[in-house]
Amino acid sequence: MSNEHTVKSYEEELQFLKDSLIKMGSLTESQLSDAMDAVIKVDKDSIDKIIKSDEEINKFRSKIDTQIMNLLVKRAPMAIDLRETISSLKISQDLERIGDLSKSNAKKVKPLPLDLPDELLGNLKRLGELVMKQLNDVLDSYVNKNFDKAKEVWKKDEQVDDLTYIAMESVIDFLSKDKKNLDFSTHLIFATKNLERAGDHITNIAETVCYLIKGEYLKGSRPKGKVIQE
Amino acid sequence: MSNVKIKSKNLNVYYGDKQALFDVNLDLNEKEVTALIGPSGCGKSTFIRCINRMNDVIDICKVTGNIEMDGLNINDKDLDVVSLRERVGMVFQKPNPFPKSIYDNISYGPKIHGKGETKSELDQIVENSLKKSALWEEVKDRLDEPGTSLSGGQQQRLCIARAISVNPEVILMDEPCSALDPIATAKIEELIDELKKTYTIVIVTHSMAQAVRVSQKTGFFHLGKLIEVGKTEKIFKNPDNKMTQDYITGRFG
Repeated sequence: MSNEHTVKSYEEELQFLKDSLIKMGSLTESQLSDAMDAVIKVDKDSIDKIIKSDEEINKFRSKIDTQIMNLLVKRAPMAIDLRETISSLKISQDLERIGDLSKSNAKKVKPLPLDLPDELLGNLKRLGELVMKQLNDVLDSYVNKNFDKAKEVWKKDEQVDDLTYIAMESVIDFLSKDKKNLDFSTHLIFATKNLERAGDHITNIAETVCYLIKGEYLKGSRPKGKVIQE
Repeated sequence: MSNVKIKSKNLNVYYGDKQALFDVNLDLNEKEVTALIGPSGCGKSTFIRCINRMNDVIDICKVTGNIEMDGLNINDKDLDVVSLRERVGMVFQKPNPFPKSIYDNISYGPKIHGKGETKSELDQIVENSLKKSALWEEVKDRLDEPGTSLSGGQQQRLCIARAISVNPEVILMDEPCSALDPIATAKIEELIDELKKTYTIVIVTHSMAQAVRVSQKTGFFHLGKLIEVGKTEKIFKNPDNKMTQDYITGRFG
């Protein structure tokens, strides 16, 4: 039995939607990585470029919305096609939010002094690398429909929480040494928190991918690491 | 958990040499809507025609295996088919009112089944049936006009009123909306929702969206076999069988 739709244009529309989402995913990845680099290197020249790329991501989001609306109204998708369509809607929302958080991080670079000590940025860098790895893995799991990989990402959010805690602590330590550091330390605290929230959106995507593949939601509550009291 | 109203076990149907149903095991729950889907010629209509012994009218048709309603063996040679059909009504693809008045269309059944001895009893049955089929308001002032003078959607509701006039337990619907426009279809679907409080309903449909809207249970037939049956929500969101998935998503080769 063939795996293709009897209606060829339906097949093409679904493929087009998947392609759009993959492109949006890779844009989000580069933006997250650029924003991370900008913070770590205190690279103020790249801020505008990162803000601009967020506009691109937002455009993708509305393009995907339109594609989904058209699919729903024209095809009334069922079963795997319905899950594919609804999952794309949810994943694109999470990607857009990750984009917003990267933009927000890029904006935090402006007030940072150029001579930030390495011990302050080390943990933040590690956190950023982990979040980027998580995003890369979850997008891979979407493209290859790999349930185990998506579940792995879902479980690993605990590590993101733990690293966030550690990175926060190092900023607070630094801050407590000298009140003069207060101004930009606050920005670093927000940047750290933004990465942790990006991690949460990645966990959402992992859940969506699991639902897309198996048609049922993951059981049990999300693994939680150490959390800074808000 | 609903009671099982109709139970088929290893049901086989042959039209001459050609086997139309293969060992169908299917339970239909009481006061629920079961939708039967599948490509043309897959056996879904043949299956529902076993429930009221409509296959009897085809000479070369042979039915083996078991089909029961509340423990009553429907295939029993000595069964009174007329009283079976009083308990199991049927509505067809194209509305087929009798060439009689609206009133007579509905009172005919109760009369021949000896229900409604007096004129006022019959009046009551006609009114109740038309109310239950959501047609009363539209036709109460012209009950003596021919049933065929109504619109297609109204004719189909008249046929539903006719089916329920003898107070059946089960209503079989064979693509009841395929000849109707979307508004008439919506009215029938709303009616089905209402009727399921009283009756056990089986509907054959080619519209996936309709199956999702009206039924609680769905069975998918292919080449005479029941491939998958389950809760409607499950079948249309996440079916177990690949063939079911390929059919409902429009991938059938």
